[in-house]
Amino acid sequence: MELCDLSALELRNLLRRKEVSAVEVLDAHLRRIDAVDGRPGTLDSAPLTDEDRRKVHALITRTDARARAQAEAVDRRLAAGEDPGPLAGIPVTVKDIFCVKGTPSTAASRILASFTAPYTATPVERMEAAGAVMIGKVNLDEFTYGSSNESSAFQPAPRNPWNPERVPGGSSGGSAASVAAGEAPLSLGTDTAGSIRQPAAFCGVVGMKPTYGRVSRYGLIAFASSLDCPGPLARSSADAALMLQAIAGPDPRDATSAAVPVPDYLAELEKGVKGMRIGLSPDYFQLTFPDPQTGEIRQQALPEEMRAAVLHAAEVLAGMGAEIIEDVPMPATRYGIPAYFVISRVEAASNLHRYDGVKYGYRTRRKPADLRDLYRKTRAEGFGPQPKLRILMGMYVSAAQYSEQYYNRALKVRAMIRNDFDRAFDPSGKYRLNALLTPTTPTTAFEMDAVYGDSVLMQYADQLTVPANHAGVPGISLPGGIAADGLPVGIQLLGPDFSEAELLRIGRAFEVGTAGEAWRQVKPLVLRER
Amino acid sequence: MPEYEAVIGLETHIQLNTTTKIFCGCKADSWFDPPNTNICPVCTGLPGVLPVLNRAVVEKAVLLAAAMHAEIRPVSYFDRKNYFYPDLPKGYQISQFDQSIGKGGYLDLPIPAASAADKQAYTRRVSITKLHMEEDAGKTKNAGGRRFVDFNRCGVPLIEMVTGPDLRSADEAAQYLIRLRQLLRWLGVSEADMEKGHLRCDANVSIRLKGETGLNPKTEIKNVNSIDAVREAIEKEIARQIHETEAGRKIEAWTLEWDEDAGVLRKMRSKETEADYRYFREPDLLAVRLDDAWKQAILRDLPELPLERRARFVAQYGLPEYDADILTAERSLSDYYEAAVKAYGGDPKKVSNWLMNDVLRMLNDAGLKAEDLKLTPAHLAELLKLVDSGKINITTGKALLGKVQESGKSPAAIVEAEGLGLVSDDSAIRAVVEEVLAESPAEVASYKGGKLTLMGWFVGQVMRKMRGKADPNLARQILEELLQ
Repeated sequence: MELCDLSALELRNLLRRKEVSAVEVLDAHLRRIDAVDGRPGTLDSAPLTDEDRRKVHALITRTDARARAQAEAVDRRLAAGEDPGPLAGIPVTVKDIFCVKGTPSTAASRILASFTAPYTATPVERMEAAGAVMIGKVNLDEFTYGSSNESSAFQPAPRNPWNPERVPGGSSGGSAASVAAGEAPLSLGTDTAGSIRQPAAFCGVVGMKPTYGRVSRYGLIAFASSLDCPGPLARSSADAALMLQAIAGPDPRDATSAAVPVPDYLAELEKGVKGMRIGLSPDYFQLTFPDPQTGEIRQQALPEEMRAAVLHAAEVLAGMGAEIIEDVPMPATRYGIPAYFVISRVEAASNLHRYDGVKYGYRTRRKPADLRDLYRKTRAEGFGPQPKLRILMGMYVSAAQYSEQYYNRALKVRAMIRNDFDRAFDPSGKYRLNALLTPTTPTTAFEMDAVYGDSVLMQYADQLTVPANHAGVPGISLPGGIAADGLPVGIQLLGPDFSEAELLRIGRAFEVGTAGEAWRQVKPLVLRER
Repeated sequence: MPEYEAVIGLETHIQLNTTTKIFCGCKADSWFDPPNTNICPVCTGLPGVLPVLNRAVVEKAVLLAAAMHAEIRPVSYFDRKNYFYPDLPKGYQISQFDQSIGKGGYLDLPIPAASAADKQAYTRRVSITKLHMEEDAGKTKNAGGRRFVDFNRCGVPLIEMVTGPDLRSADEAAQYLIRLRQLLRWLGVSEADMEKGHLRCDANVSIRLKGETGLNPKTEIKNVNSIDAVREAIEKEIARQIHETEAGRKIEAWTLEWDEDAGVLRKMRSKETEADYRYFREPDLLAVRLDDAWKQAILRDLPELPLERRARFVAQYGLPEYDADILTAERSLSDYYEAAVKAYGGDPKKVSNWLMNDVLRMLNDAGLKAEDLKLTPAHLAELLKLVDSGKINITTGKALLGKVQESGKSPAAIVEAEGLGLVSDDSAIRAVVEEVLAESPAEVASYKGGKLTLMGWFVGQVMRKMRGKADPNLARQILEELLQ
């Protein structure tokens, strides 16, 4: 067991007891990165080698010097007997969609490759104020637009530590991979349709999308502003709770952050699930896919292994005293992706307007004929295929003559999805759920190149996670087992607004209830024989 | 030639005089700042930043909406207006679209006789079709073959207010701007200085045959930076449109630019199609919820409006329209006038005369507002009473104005200290009269011989000897008595 395989809470205790120093903790993680991460993602990178295919490639930018300075500061404070903060000395990685002062903040796009942020995002600022040691910025899909990380302009893209021929998921794939591979116990990701939970499920880690407004978006390079949520990725519910504690809470710089008090997540953690009402919905046990030829929407059953993992979790939780409520109707679930296609693209196209080659980031090197031409060339060269697709679709569905039939209709669907959750969680309603238990993803991690290129199919990877974004409610993905292909299976818990403490509590109970199960002992492939 | 009438609508952008910008903490006014020195990540649209609404902007918008008799929406929204321009760093302007803070509204615009075609004063009701909050963009300029951008102005709070096509002449358009400027300053929501761009105006102009009710294709005039320029540009455009129409040519929907120096309109572009700004709700801001408590707190500061006060001054104080207009040109002057009338208790017209003749000159010379005067309304009232009671004469009274303003002392105290009061002691004046008569035997003889006009000369002599401090009426009485 190396230091970098310990949990954040264990590291915290060792540091506080002065059994290890923050610099030793940092060095252990940097050694792990050296061992498993391979070359960092870069623009115009050389073709993949066999060596590359065995590595994780979670990182775009290593911030070793910054991390060392932070770790030394923590050690000084510990030596002086001062309280160094709740995350003191704990290494974290940060999805490269957050601005961090003095570091390249690229959004995994050529258009921002040269942009160095002059300010720090609120959640990062809060982690650093709590003593966390930021060891690097991790890769993602370009501007978070994807579910596999393959769309990053910085290649090699991250690969799944459980099987490097598989994708880590996305868009917080670098975050999930870095945590799964022991490069850091915690990572800050973002979730717009499932971008924390889906890669967490694919990489066998815990990922939480908090309630919209629970964590400030200030400094998060926007994708779909009404859906984006920063949140933690960790290897346990307790570590996720520790990190959420540090980043949650109102922020005067984000008007959409919620003025709701932050509970003590760790204090709530061990309270168990006795008497909690946990629901299962048939609408989360069937999948929806558009027929590639006709575009018609077809329903198909969830793969048996995924279904079994959820039912197993329900049994474990029932065995610990939870009440399982079956057949909770969530009929609008199937419309989540179509509505998301519209809403997220409209917001994304608008959010991408600012990348025009005038102020910062990439500007075409060819001589523009005029202003329009400067925009055209800059954006044609600077954006990869995903931003371009999203701009095209966003422009189309928000045009004056179409917005009623697309955008306004999508907003109505969004309200219907919210209604499903309101009905399920209504404390005086028929179901009175504390949480809904579902699979996180339709499948385990798919092979690299298997889906990339089919943007519609890729989007449907988020169909079980996107409803929570529409509704604004919190969700958490937990490792729920290992499938026959050797890859982790994620289970998801969704709860009412600001029920993060309850979701983490259920997660913790599930971890306790399954601690003795054989799959818990299996390590990611890149960490075996170590 | 058939008779045409002009159809004019004005689109105004009003810069609010808040301390900070609309969505960040930068100060709102950058007039004296070098380019790109009053900026931050938020107003320059860096990746990842978010807007946070300045509540003072809402408060000023609500005041203006109330003053324009607009409906104030209890829930309004910000929207994104998407377009590309280098001075717009986010690539969208945060504005309000279909659910703006103000809905409808109007201004009853008094048109003075001098501006009316038939020299008869009348009132024109000007409807308001748009009243919303938004952020300003920056500025670009070309120099030395390069294009420069200054972001200082990004995020400065604006109200966009648009009238219906209700104005019928260049003079009416000018009157609208004069009254709007007056109102904005009166409410304290904007400095409304057109030269500094606090009040910007684009004019939509078309013509039609008198008696027609439809709207013909219009042109839009941009870049007019003063009220005179608005009047002149519209006049020229009306003349051009009449000329074109008479020549059998169609008016095309051009955008025209006013060249101030040359005094001519130039074509900027043809407007083939309306731009699609793909408006949608700004997801980074919550709805603006104006609950009753907040609204009432804001409207507590809504003063009586200038045109209402003007009418009241005529009705209540019997002032001529001319006086009422001048006295309500500016809020603190009208407050001053009314306070002085109350403290004085005498003829309001007399107060008006003193204010318009003397106090206004004092204000203009010193560049002060009435509220800044050390000569308070109570001082002015006291001074008028001193004149009325014969304690001082008018000349002394006028000289006193400056002395009070300089020292801040009360008029009575200055009169006392400097011995400026009229001598109305019978025996003191009688002694001087006797002295004058004794020294002027020839004049006494002439007077007695029937040259009664010499009375004025005698009074003058008495006043001269008493350095102007004699009560002239008393002096005359004693002279008449002793010359009998």
